[in-house]
Amino acid sequence: MWLITVTLCFATPTLHAEGLQPKNLVTLSLHGESMASALKIVQKQSGWKILYVVDDVKGYTVDANISNATVEEAVAKILSGKPFTYSVKGNFISIAYKATKKQDKTETVVNRLRQISGVIIDESGETLIGASVNVPGSPYGTITGTDGRYELLIPENCNDVQVSYVGMHTSMVKVGRNENINFVMTADHTTIDEVVVTGYQTLSKERSTGSFSKITAEDLQSKRMNTISSLLEGEVAGYNNGLIRGVTTMNATKTPLYVIDGFPVENTKMGAYGSLEEGLPDINVDDIESITVLKDAAAASIYGARAANGVIVITTKHKTSKSNKTDVSFSTTLTWRPYKMYTGNMADSKLVVDLEKEWASQNTNLSGNNAASYAQNLLDYKVYPSAGITSILNYYAGNTSQSDMEQTLTSLSSKGYNYYDQMAKYAKRDPLYQQYNLGIVSNTGKNMFKTDVTYRHDANEDKYSGNQWLGLNLANTTQFTKWLSLDMGAYMKFSQDNAQGYDVMSPGYSVLPYDDLVNSDGSNYTKAQNSYLSTETVNLIKKYGLYNLDITPLDELNLNTTVTKGFNVRAYARLNIELTSWLKYSASFQYERSSYKYEQIADKQSIATRNRVDNFAYDKNGSAVYAIPYGNIFNRRDQYVRTLNFRQQLDFNKTFGNVHNVVAILGTETRDTKIDMHRSQMFNYDTDMLSSGTVDETSLVSGFTGILGNYSYLQTTDLNASYENTNRFVSVYGNASYTYDDRYTVTGSLRWDRSNLWGTSSKFQNKPTWSLGAGWIISKEKWFDAPWVNYLKLRVSDGIGGNVSKDSAPYLVASYYTNYNVGGKYGYVSSRPNSKLSWEKTNTFNVGVDFAVLGNRLNGTLEYYNKKGTDLLASTMGVPTEGYGYSTYTINNGEMNNRGFEVSLKGLILHSQDWRISANTTFGYNKNRVTYVNVKAPVYYLALDYASAYPTIGYEYNAIFGYKWAGLSSNGLPQVYDQKGEITSHQPTNLESLQYQGTTVPKYNGSLGAEISYKNFDLNILFTYAGGHIMRNVNPAFLTCSYSRLGYITNIASASSALAGRWQKAGDEAYTNVPRAIFAESGYSASELYNVYYYSSQNILDADYLKLSNISLSYHIPVSVCRKLSMQNARVQVNVENPCMWTHTDQAKYQLGGYNATNYMVGLFLNF
Amino acid sequence: MTVLAAALLFTSCNDYLNEKPKGKKIPATLADYEAFLRDEYDVHRMDVGQSAYLLNDRYLTNSNASYYPMYAANYNWDTSVDRVYYNNSDETTYYAAYSGINYCNLVIENAPTATEAADAQKNEVVAYAKVLRTMHYFLLANYYANTYQSGSAAETLSVPLITSSEVGASYTQVTVKQIYDFMINDLTEAIPYLPDMGTTILHPGKGAAYAMLARIYLQMMDYTNALEYADKALAINDKLIDWNEFYKANKSVIDSESSAQTSQTPLGFNCVESYNFNDGSSSSGARINNMPQWRAKMFEDGDIYFKCNWKLYTVGSETYYRGITTGTINYNGMRTVEQYLIKAECLARDNQLTEAMNVLNTVRKHTVSTDKYESLRASSVSEAIEYIRREKDNLLIYSIVPFADARRYNAEGIYTRVLSKEKDGKTVTLSPSSYMWTFPFPLGAIKNAGNGSITQNVAK
Repeated sequence: MWLITVTLCFATPTLHAEGLQPKNLVTLSLHGESMASALKIVQKQSGWKILYVVDDVKGYTVDANISNATVEEAVAKILSGKPFTYSVKGNFISIAYKATKKQDKTETVVNRLRQISGVIIDESGETLIGASVNVPGSPYGTITGTDGRYELLIPENCNDVQVSYVGMHTSMVKVGRNENINFVMTADHTTIDEVVVTGYQTLSKERSTGSFSKITAEDLQSKRMNTISSLLEGEVAGYNNGLIRGVTTMNATKTPLYVIDGFPVENTKMGAYGSLEEGLPDINVDDIESITVLKDAAAASIYGARAANGVIVITTKHKTSKSNKTDVSFSTTLTWRPYKMYTGNMADSKLVVDLEKEWASQNTNLSGNNAASYAQNLLDYKVYPSAGITSILNYYAGNTSQSDMEQTLTSLSSKGYNYYDQMAKYAKRDPLYQQYNLGIVSNTGKNMFKTDVTYRHDANEDKYSGNQWLGLNLANTTQFTKWLSLDMGAYMKFSQDNAQGYDVMSPGYSVLPYDDLVNSDGSNYTKAQNSYLSTETVNLIKKYGLYNLDITPLDELNLNTTVTKGFNVRAYARLNIELTSWLKYSASFQYERSSYKYEQIADKQSIATRNRVDNFAYDKNGSAVYAIPYGNIFNRRDQYVRTLNFRQQLDFNKTFGNVHNVVAILGTETRDTKIDMHRSQMFNYDTDMLSSGTVDETSLVSGFTGILGNYSYLQTTDLNASYENTNRFVSVYGNASYTYDDRYTVTGSLRWDRSNLWGTSSKFQNKPTWSLGAGWIISKEKWFDAPWVNYLKLRVSDGIGGNVSKDSAPYLVASYYTNYNVGGKYGYVSSRPNSKLSWEKTNTFNVGVDFAVLGNRLNGTLEYYNKKGTDLLASTMGVPTEGYGYSTYTINNGEMNNRGFEVSLKGLILHSQDWRISANTTFGYNKNRVTYVNVKAPVYYLALDYASAYPTIGYEYNAIFGYKWAGLSSNGLPQVYDQKGEITSHQPTNLESLQYQGTTVPKYNGSLGAEISYKNFDLNILFTYAGGHIMRNVNPAFLTCSYSRLGYITNIASASSALAGRWQKAGDEAYTNVPRAIFAESGYSASELYNVYYYSSQNILDADYLKLSNISLSYHIPVSVCRKLSMQNARVQVNVENPCMWTHTDQAKYQLGGYNATNYMVGLFLNF
Repeated sequence: MTVLAAALLFTSCNDYLNEKPKGKKIPATLADYEAFLRDEYDVHRMDVGQSAYLLNDRYLTNSNASYYPMYAANYNWDTSVDRVYYNNSDETTYYAAYSGINYCNLVIENAPTATEAADAQKNEVVAYAKVLRTMHYFLLANYYANTYQSGSAAETLSVPLITSSEVGASYTQVTVKQIYDFMINDLTEAIPYLPDMGTTILHPGKGAAYAMLARIYLQMMDYTNALEYADKALAINDKLIDWNEFYKANKSVIDSESSAQTSQTPLGFNCVESYNFNDGSSSSGARINNMPQWRAKMFEDGDIYFKCNWKLYTVGSETYYRGITTGTINYNGMRTVEQYLIKAECLARDNQLTEAMNVLNTVRKHTVSTDKYESLRASSVSEAIEYIRREKDNLLIYSIVPFADARRYNAEGIYTRVLSKEKDGKTVTLSPSSYMWTFPFPLGAIKNAGNGSITQNVAK
């Protein structure tokens, strides 16, 4: 195999930089040294770049004594007597094989040769020196000279030559019969020669000291352009499930800060009751040029009080290759997701009927004299309305014969997963997602204009759920004069989400697998009111003529739909003034406005409305009065989010005496976010007239006794409510880096944030965030002598980033509402004074090594970090005697550590004319530990149910605790060890009995990707994995109970399929860990035994997984075809997302989403 | 340029950053503080759940009995259960009472310096808060600590006394005497500033304060003072609910066979008997609590009040009397009916048996069915007290009063009563001297004690 090997011994940012190195004289003494290393020594001593083809010089040795020679003299001496020539341009010396000699050697093999020649340039039109042109699989090859020209003899019958160059994409070029072939090479951003974008500035990666991970649009080609988080999956070491480097906070925002084209973009919205929810920012995903993830303090702390969770910086596409050119790109994808519901963990009809029979046989009330009246009582009150138990009770009540009952049960038990099968057939559909994108970039030299339009249409599995949105991005850059330019842009998004409010899985009564959605005659099944409501309730409905409460699930599907319409605008302007060649001033302003209109109409025919109206009916002189008038119930929420961001910044960049480079920025930033929301509810709403019925608000809120026996009332805020939240920040920031000789860099940054969140008087207002960093490019050292190492850099950083909780306050704050019972306003303390409120502080120490070896064929990064969070907002249980026994509030007194390391590697395994195989992998290990917190769960059940509200020092923040499993007792009851190590079936209530089970956040995660290209085909495969964590089985093999008029009753409907292996007779405990079926009526404390089992180590699942997350196959339409269609390139792609997942158990696979349907995508991508 | 801009920003940004949250505010005016007294959830909830179970006033379902071991222990007088260990499922009594006390403290501390009000208005608001605070302390002191006995009150520990709403405020677990002195002092201080009836039913006026003093003196077995204040209270309001009238108005619901329908309780916000209003464990409306069958036998024949409120009900294998009135019930506010019965007892104690029975019969005319009513006569103090107590236990059911009375009689040792019932075929009893008459503090309060410490007043 004849591998292409132009080796620039040092990867340099650009080959066009000249004159930086002094012209040193060369002294060396060589005895049988390989020619390659001789040239390398000359290069190092001289500071010149010497270009040659490694395979050409292979086998040649050098004997020479050179002292105080110029570089040219030295090279001449080394080459003397060998079949090489050289040429000089600037600081470059190109060494070329004397083709004549080779030609002689090979003439016997190949009959005829012909000459081709041409110039190779890059996208900006610069000639490329030292680019390699060769015929793959043959000895014919050369490199371009200092003018970018090449001349090459190739076999007469050869049609393709390969062009390659460091930092550029290797390409095959059709030669045809042409003699003169010029070629434009495109940059390959995957190499380490790159810049990083922090949002405040663009840095040379070589000169940065922080931890950055960058992904370009090309890296993402193999993925479906879905959401930012799906794009990042498997691409960035240390990124998992939306978080960078684990969980670093307890109560503040956990998600990273997103920055789009230089501005922080937060997508904070209010929930229905005014709580703040963070979302991913709105962006046309197809329009992403690159994503840079800032992981450590040196990278991120310039973002101040919101930097602790890492920062994700997104730049959108806005560059075209040349002046006076318009690029148009179009893409479309169609994704199909065949509907699938996993039933493997649910009891089927047979098991349900078996359990129902066992319920009857264990229920002592069904034996003895009172059995018939007991059975009739349960029937009358519909305590167990399921078809199976109803038929059993009818038998005991004497309403039917035993054979009727048995016949019914047999027929029910044969129905498998009937309900879910019918649901798939009649109530669900295969989701289909369509996406279209059109991008246009036009560059007229002085002006660059870009527009990007994305339209998406998603049809979800629920027939009336789906959404569509149109995103429009406009950007314009005008260069007015050499020193003045203006960037302006706007992003607009129009969206509509429809959400079906009715869930067939919980249709308003409890569903069993043998239930129907469709009758045998094909009509829609109706659950009659008298089959699930007590006889006395049904009688009242009839007596008063209330609306009947029959439920026909398939008719309900579209009767309670929510439509959310959104309109988001983000507009910015940035004025850049180049004061001198080394000092720039910029002022930028961004305005964001989002409005959301949320409308839910519960149709008057829906069960939701009928139920509500009936429950709010009261008796007046023997007839019904409807406090809520019958009609559509209309819920509406209007929400507005407004964000302003104003920034002024000075950028300094100057090199002194050729070797001292200083880059610095200094700026101020003001940010103001205001969210306000209004919610209202109207009754008897007429969708045509837009009118609504009146209600007596006072009586609805103070409540009354309804006909159906309940006390009915609404909360004040159910009728209407307003919410508002304002966050303001004023910041001053700066950073500076100093680089000596391109080898040593030190950086520092500092930022002060002040905010209304902390109160102006707070002494914590003026705490700065800061970072310090140092970098050393070892491979640039003169003494560094490892020819196989192309690049080696060591960097260290330390510093702090902040994080805020957006809804805390330092002073006593009260909320006021109307008291409808006695009049006037009532008030309550919504937050107690917290004078020590501050932002959270996370100190990150980071060490990283970046390297490229083996001719840049393998490059990667290793990192170690230690993130230490202090002043974390921790939950504290209020002191009961102070009157806050049921309150938790947050104070800045938690501490948490995250330590870990990350590896990312990219390697080129094989590269030939037709084949190119590369692989990459990421791995992140994270160890989280709570080091201080001043709160302990007051009681055992809080520690079990709200583990993360009561973290335990020395364990992970997301650690969960439980009882140690002790097997089944001889009568099939679950047993655990208590704090004394004794076996018990009673739930231990002592905190000491709780044992650490593990953490729910992966300790490690990573990915493995491979890219195989053959001719015009690319195949990409991406595996992701995570492990070291656990989770609780959410479908425990134990019947649950729920509260009814009878007290607790058994829910057989939600039984786990694992109950098939339950303990049934003495001795079973030897081979099963599934307890006996315990029913509420068994006399055992069913809820306590449930807790014993649920919180035991037996119910913990190992959550390790390996997932094939994406396969993509794309075909690049040949350039010749594209040209005919006036396209630059075109690609057809097929993706399969999440086809397989491997886990330890089926249940784990279910809980990790491994049974979710696979996506199949087909896409077309065109560039004009 | 940037530095200059920064400097400017930092000097002028204090106003910008002083943006206060909307929809919430920092209380400043008297109205802002007074509004806390209208917050039912935080200030007016008083829960006597465990005493209602101990007295078997409230029915405990089998499933709840197996779910909450401490409830079952109180309900079935089971001394094998360590209630201290299990007391993490019944916190409402303690937590809600101290929440009310905290708000009262907040008002008492801040109202005097609040803006937009005259001194008289401020004094009145402070006085309301003092009465409410006393009501919470009375409940706590008679639930978690020994009852008042003049001989030992100065030595016996009662409940934590906290008078500040500050974060981290210190407190002391005072003696029984100290807590009673504190309550009487607060009420005495408050009375001059109070109107006869408060601004709203949630604001305790003079009537409520006198009624509370009557209750406190009765608990201290000071019948002279108790009678005096009961009379003062009745001078302000002496109306009684006429349950016969209520029955007539709601006959169809009350007489129907099914208990599905309910009628609106007359014990709500507009209750004619109320001096002030305090909720039970919940501040939203619901059915009145259910009652076990044996407890229902303690109502006299023809009690129309009973018929209006409870109906026999069977579900599954359990039968009990189910509540058939709904609404937000004034379980724990001061009511006239209690003052009548305090007056009756004080008169009986003074051997004025006829006067005592007259007062009792005035009440009974409102609670016994017209067609079954006969005036009661007592030939001895003990008989009079027997009749008065029956009426008081029934009419003030689900408040602290029947429990506090029982403890008072137990301590006095004359008119004691042994509770006895059948449980699983065996007879179980609760003796007047049982430790169970004092409930343990919840674990959460002991373990998360804040700036003070708490000692359990009962071993288990």
